[in-house]
Amino acid sequence: MQAQTKNETPSLKAENLAQFLQTEFKKYRSAADFVSFKMIREKTRDYSVRNGKAEDLTEFVDLGLMIEVMVSGHIGYGATCELTADGIKRAFERALNMTRTSASRAVYKFDKNIRPAVQGTYSTSRKVRLDKLSLTEIFDYLKKTSLGLKTNDKIISAVSDAMLIECTQNYFSSEGTEIFQEFDIIVNSMSATASDGKESQTRSLHGGRGNCIQGGAEYFQLDNALRECETISREALELLTAENCPSETCDLILAPDQMLLQIHESIGHPLELDRILGDERNFAGWSFVQPADFGHLQYGSPIMNVVFDPAGANQLASYNFDDVGNKADKKYLIKSGKLEAALGSLESQTRSKISGVANARSSSWNRAPIDRMANINLEGGDLSLDQMIAKVERGVIMYSNRSWSIDDYRRKFQFGCEYGKLIENGKVTKTLKNPNYRGVTVPFWNALSGLTTTDTIESYGSPYCGKGEPSQVIRVGHASPYALFKNIEVFGGG
Amino acid sequence: MQTYLKSLSEKLFNELKGNEELSIGLHSEESEFVRFNHSLVRQNTHVHQHEATFQFQNDGRTYAKTATLTLDPETDLALGRDTITEMRAVLPLIDPSPKYTPMVNNGTSEVFQKSERPPVEKVINHITDVFSKSDLAGFYCAGPLRQASLNSKGQSHYFENDSFFFDYSVYDGPRAAKGYYADSQWDEARFDKQASQAKNTLSLLAKPQIKVKPGAYRTYLAPMAVAEIAEIFNWRAVSRSQYEQGFTPLKKLFTREQLFSPHFSLIENNSLGLNSHFNTIGEISPSVLPIIENGEMKNFLINSATAKEYNLVSNNADAGMWSSEVMRSMEIRAGTLADEQILKELGTGLYLTNLHYINWSDPQAARLTGMTRFACFWVENGEIAGPIQDLRFDDSLYNIFGTELAALTKDRSRFTNTLTYQKRRLGGMMVPGALLNKMNFTL
Repeated sequence: MQAQTKNETPSLKAENLAQFLQTEFKKYRSAADFVSFKMIREKTRDYSVRNGKAEDLTEFVDLGLMIEVMVSGHIGYGATCELTADGIKRAFERALNMTRTSASRAVYKFDKNIRPAVQGTYSTSRKVRLDKLSLTEIFDYLKKTSLGLKTNDKIISAVSDAMLIECTQNYFSSEGTEIFQEFDIIVNSMSATASDGKESQTRSLHGGRGNCIQGGAEYFQLDNALRECETISREALELLTAENCPSETCDLILAPDQMLLQIHESIGHPLELDRILGDERNFAGWSFVQPADFGHLQYGSPIMNVVFDPAGANQLASYNFDDVGNKADKKYLIKSGKLEAALGSLESQTRSKISGVANARSSSWNRAPIDRMANINLEGGDLSLDQMIAKVERGVIMYSNRSWSIDDYRRKFQFGCEYGKLIENGKVTKTLKNPNYRGVTVPFWNALSGLTTTDTIESYGSPYCGKGEPSQVIRVGHASPYALFKNIEVFGGG
Repeated sequence: MQTYLKSLSEKLFNELKGNEELSIGLHSEESEFVRFNHSLVRQNTHVHQHEATFQFQNDGRTYAKTATLTLDPETDLALGRDTITEMRAVLPLIDPSPKYTPMVNNGTSEVFQKSERPPVEKVINHITDVFSKSDLAGFYCAGPLRQASLNSKGQSHYFENDSFFFDYSVYDGPRAAKGYYADSQWDEARFDKQASQAKNTLSLLAKPQIKVKPGAYRTYLAPMAVAEIAEIFNWRAVSRSQYEQGFTPLKKLFTREQLFSPHFSLIENNSLGLNSHFNTIGEISPSVLPIIENGEMKNFLINSATAKEYNLVSNNADAGMWSSEVMRSMEIRAGTLADEQILKELGTGLYLTNLHYINWSDPQAARLTGMTRFACFWVENGEIAGPIQDLRFDDSLYNIFGTELAALTKDRSRFTNTLTYQKRRLGGMMVPGALLNKMNFTL
């Protein structure tokens, strides 16, 4: 691996900035009931190659400071990229003034327990840091994989894209908290669009940007990737002559790269405690889940076990502390199908008295933390994929999400996939295009009747989960086995 | 900010050697964000955010780097110089781009817009007072937003808009009515009147809820619902680059195999004042560009990169994610249906004020799906019978704006972009309400 060109402006160097912010923090740490500073530096290299040629080569170095102040039990925020003594003073004063006014009209008066005093670190598990990966190396990889996708003249668009993110967070507070966390993130997508002049069909590496992990440069193994390219390209061409998915009620097997979306939309979002408390009603929506449902609601069938797991190896949203310093630990959200805990931060737990997790997260230095998903995973079952297919008299297997829509209470959903296979009498018989299905969350999860074994679990995620006012995107990870659902409404295109 | 940027740019342009070209794009905002729940403040945030995008070009190659600015002249100049040095080093390592277009001087201009408003502290108190007896959730956003585009060929465009909006909904248990207030000047009386209208709509929802079975129904889409559907045009549908790459929901419209209704016209209208007058690379956008006119496709959006790659003529469109051209100031032409005739003309069917979470369900067929949201009603013989339980629709644009489009309203509503992902956005749309002979509901 070659060393990436390093040319950092001296006053913006990480070690100089950390020292400067510590000095500045001392000026303000006693100026409110609680004060914290969090500096986030995130470098994103997003490179894309289409049909073997450079498409977009961009880089973004985002650097700024989030200041939290507590006044009379209300927390307000001031954010700035003006990393000078004057800039920080301006941001602090604006935050303090707004917070003083808001404190007299606040939704809830908290105490300092919502900002625990902790010290610790986190670092992505990887062999080779992403900053060791040069432009030449990644560009060469993308060119070769893009050309690897273009196996036929009918492949009109062969795109290979890599988003490489290096992020560091320094957080310290007037309670004595000191946290340093660093993340190396890879979002690698490849897609082939085939056209016969009448219609076009796209097949991709696990759907859009679903293939995302925390990891190092060792991820980029060209031989493996070229094998993936061959499959993607072949299946895109196959879809041009495939039958439409039939419209009927039958069994449905979802592959892990569709389960990621099913878990995300119909488990993750409805369990977010700030939604249940109504904070998101005006934008992302509310939830069908009521506070009284925790400990009682049979969310799904008894084989359904769902965890919040911030320690998932190389999963996209692994961390040791959330963005307010709460130590993150694994927790069952749904056990044997019964709803047990919410995706609620310390603030939401205090407001609702419902058990939650460490999930106060913000998209960057310029947004306040809110209740988010992290890694939300479905545990495995006892079937091999062959055994699962053999159990199906008539059904469809669907792979890789391409369309998603669900109501603002997270009840009625409709999802579409890139690629389907028909199952007849326990055997896979033909390829199907435009496979879609729809359902209602709780009946759907109660129709879950089989899961493949733990060793078949695959982990994917999304870098773009949207929520919040002001709006934020956050990175989430979802691991799942193949899952079998009985009597689901499926349909095709046209 | 304008002076600061100009000074910084001049120094950086002087760093260039030989045929090197550099453009500098600015996004800058000083934003007040207040989110409300239960008519009280949930979170307040003040943000100072300034980003410069340096596009460096030479020898058919191009590389772009965006970085946050500190507004300390020495630090930002050093950052800019280091960025040029870095990009100069990486450019020979990459291949020439098939979309490469040399930079040109697209002229010089400046536009300043300002909405007068009280200090945020007063706004917080007023909103919490006016809705003290209601259950409100909402989002207040205010402050200057600046965009600029300068390049080493002498181009210099600057746009600054100091604006505000309050996007909110009021609740009676699970029933909700939507409200939105933005103005050229904060007018307390007008704000209070709109607040009363939202509360009045909520009272209509007090009637018993009606469960409507899946099926096809005569439907009225209020302007906010039409706006939600119209957003799908920006999901790769009117982008020429996406069309060339096989994403083709409007292919049959383009080839005239299918048409929209002759009543339907979609226009990119940059004269509405909703966005900056130049695109990301500083090209001046046409004042008016018809996309669909009287049901027929007239133009795709084409930016310079797409024009270069496919040998087309650019219409100075802007690009969003995935290099897909997007409309920045959308207009759907008005019809003739008067507001007071809507319920009568609807007769019996659905009156939908809002829709939610729309996505393509089959892009090849221009089919989309989404949900009803907020105040939606069942209407019988021209009278509101009661609110409905949320319904899912799944239908084609060729039906919604084509064969099933019965009428568009005479009055239109104007919506400014309220999205704030990563940063505040400009843009918006002006659309009428739409009466459909039928719309397909599936769940």
